[in-house]
Amino acid sequence: MKENNLYTYRPKSMTLHEVLSRIYHISLREVGIMRQNPIYGFCTVIFPIVVIIFFTTLMAGGQPTEMPIGIVDQDNTTTTRAMVRQLDAFQSSKVAGYYPNVNAAREAIQRNEIFAFLYIPKGTTSGLMTSTQPKVSFYYSNVTLVAGNMLFKDLKTICTLGSAAVGKTKLQAIGKTDDEVRTFLQPIAVDTHLIQNPWVSYNIYLTTSMAPGVLMVFIFLLTPYSIGTELKFKRSRQLMKMAGNNIYIAIAGKILPMTLLFLTMMYGFEFYIFHTLDFPHPGGVIPLLLMGLLSVLACQGFGIFAFGLMPSLRMSISISALWSVLSFSVAGATYPLSAMDPEIQSLAQLFPLRHYFMLYQMCEFNGYPLSYAWFNIMFLLMIAVLPIFTLRNIKRAMLVYVYIP
Amino acid sequence: MQNENFFSQVKQGLLDTCYICVKEMRGLVTDEGVLIFCVLVPLFYPLLYSWIYNNEVVRDVPVAVVDLSHSEASREFIRHYDAGSDVKVAYMCNSLDDAKELIGKQQVHGALYFPEDFERRLGRGEQATVGLYCDMSLMLHYKAIYQTAMAVAGEMNSRIQLSQSNSFTNRDDETTTKPLDFDEVPIFNVTDGYGNAIIPGVLMLILQQTLLLGIGLAAGTARENNRYQDLVPISKHYNGIFRIVLGKSWCYFMVYMVMAAYISLVVPRMFHYISLVTPWTILGLMVPYLLSCIFFGMTLSCMVRYRENVMLLVVFTSVPFLFMTGVSWPQSNIPSFWQGVACLIPSTFGVRGFLRISSMGATLQDISVEYHALWIQTFVYFLTTCMVYRYQIAATRKRAFDHMQAVRDKIELAKQKKLSSQAK
Repeated sequence: MKENNLYTYRPKSMTLHEVLSRIYHISLREVGIMRQNPIYGFCTVIFPIVVIIFFTTLMAGGQPTEMPIGIVDQDNTTTTRAMVRQLDAFQSSKVAGYYPNVNAAREAIQRNEIFAFLYIPKGTTSGLMTSTQPKVSFYYSNVTLVAGNMLFKDLKTICTLGSAAVGKTKLQAIGKTDDEVRTFLQPIAVDTHLIQNPWVSYNIYLTTSMAPGVLMVFIFLLTPYSIGTELKFKRSRQLMKMAGNNIYIAIAGKILPMTLLFLTMMYGFEFYIFHTLDFPHPGGVIPLLLMGLLSVLACQGFGIFAFGLMPSLRMSISISALWSVLSFSVAGATYPLSAMDPEIQSLAQLFPLRHYFMLYQMCEFNGYPLSYAWFNIMFLLMIAVLPIFTLRNIKRAMLVYVYIP
Repeated sequence: MQNENFFSQVKQGLLDTCYICVKEMRGLVTDEGVLIFCVLVPLFYPLLYSWIYNNEVVRDVPVAVVDLSHSEASREFIRHYDAGSDVKVAYMCNSLDDAKELIGKQQVHGALYFPEDFERRLGRGEQATVGLYCDMSLMLHYKAIYQTAMAVAGEMNSRIQLSQSNSFTNRDDETTTKPLDFDEVPIFNVTDGYGNAIIPGVLMLILQQTLLLGIGLAAGTARENNRYQDLVPISKHYNGIFRIVLGKSWCYFMVYMVMAAYISLVVPRMFHYISLVTPWTILGLMVPYLLSCIFFGMTLSCMVRYRENVMLLVVFTSVPFLFMTGVSWPQSNIPSFWQGVACLIPSTFGVRGFLRISSMGATLQDISVEYHALWIQTFVYFLTTCMVYRYQIAATRKRAFDHMQAVRDKIELAKQKKLSSQAK
């Protein structure tokens, strides 16, 4: 068999045993390569673990607490001080500074000392006594969205309570019972049920999609990397020879060790957050296993596809990098996809992380049957088989392409 | 004589610096990978991200309603709820199970539940409850559904209170329902927009990450094109650490000043994000930010063996780096260990500073912590860059010397062989 007619060479049909043994040997060779190049160890094990620890420890508290808040109390009476103390006692807020006027407090926000402040003008207490409806204001900065939203809630509650306290005193003075007072102040009460995440924990909310997202970035990048380095180090012909000139066998053997390794990481991560940290998982084990498997395969599929599209290490890995980083935004885990423009909504379907997130939140987090997510399962499978369109290209590259740095 | 020597040395140094700078620039344009990450990505990625988040707020989140009360009061509540800008009543269901089914199919993201005795209790003067069920898989959906329900309930409560109180004038009504009035004032991010909050961080991060990638790729290419896999070639121009470090960094600095101007001034205006920058403030932030990123990148680039490895090392860090800046998880709540790690990275201070300049109109005095931190980073990373380059140069010299020695030995050996053969 000569080198130049390798491309057209058709091997005799192989027996199943031969196919498996070839895949096995290529996999062994791949494991050897992975052991020699430390970058594999870092990207498959060490960095993912660091990232998982990062997210789970960063948001270990679940909700941001004790966020700094400023007070501009120009009234300075027992009533207003009681109000400030009450605000300080709230879980999310901590009174971090007192400022003489609104301008000083605004500058404190610009200096990053506080996120919001409460302004109580002079005459508030006397206004309450004479019932002339005094007015307080609170200013909150949504530049850090989470902080702004949570402090808004606290500040609004404290101001509403201020009103309620006055009403309560009045009603009690004319002899109403506590029950009557409550009914008068709040005839309609909203009974809120926060399904599956009653703590409004950001750890449960964000870690479950961000950490697998980072894991997927590694799969996205390492797949074209491992195929491309064959060309770079001129081992591709040796690989094809081991595969009996069959590109399917060559690729299967190459990605198999990585598939197993990433599956282990994915399941390890899921075991850690759902078992050790006990995040809500009413969906049970089966969706978890399926999610892990499908997302690993889909990311590898995309990686191979990208390499086949442009069989150069540099270009394919660049495409994978740019694509994988976009996933975090278009997955719609933070800013909902439905609020984005329709073009982006359709584009987002090409990102495995989007489907991972949908599958997770429907079938695992909310515990609906898998059939509800058939669309996402189908798309993950489609992305996983994308390489069949470009495998021919990879074969040609493996046999005739010369690496140019 | 001494003086002249000194000046000619300075002149030579400057010429060498310029030579290295030009060479680096040529590499930047001719190397596809570097061109993509240093020019195309900074130009187009900001546009893409801005487009993604340009709608800013979530409107009309679909909600299902289970109204078992079928009363005037419940219908009033539903009407007001539907009128809210953030939500819309998409389905009327007969039971909570129906609503649950709709949540599962992603048709709605929450449900309102009016029990059968809703209005009866109101009429009796008892407290009536309305059940609110939120799908918690998306915080912005939850926020829209929850806040609208609270607002509508509050408004209806005031009206019920009025009907029960014995007030005579409109003013009486106001003081009865709200003895203490209050104003809610969102400042800086007045739209309460997601894009306004996240885009400045993303923009600054794009600058840093593309610089790290670009510098790393260029270094990788230089190393691979070199015969001995050395970062620093042997040439009379590469005859000093400062020449190399300054020459290379000057090239990136020039390109990135343009990119930074584009990203921090043009992009926010194109998409109508809040931009309160003033010329000297933004210049004051960008100079140390870019310099610290460049030297940080140059320090890292010495650790890269193959050019593609730099992508494996840099790309995934984008998300953790963004979280460390405190854009999404408030800075005051980041554990101290990660605060410490964050201090090592230029983007931490770059993003914090830019957010406050761009979204809050802060001055350099207001961001003095970030400003000083960036200059300290610039200085420290400049030193580390010099150190790693010094090491590289020493390694190169040693290898070259060894190589020469080997060649010399070979010649010597050959000569001796020749001599001995002649002697025979």
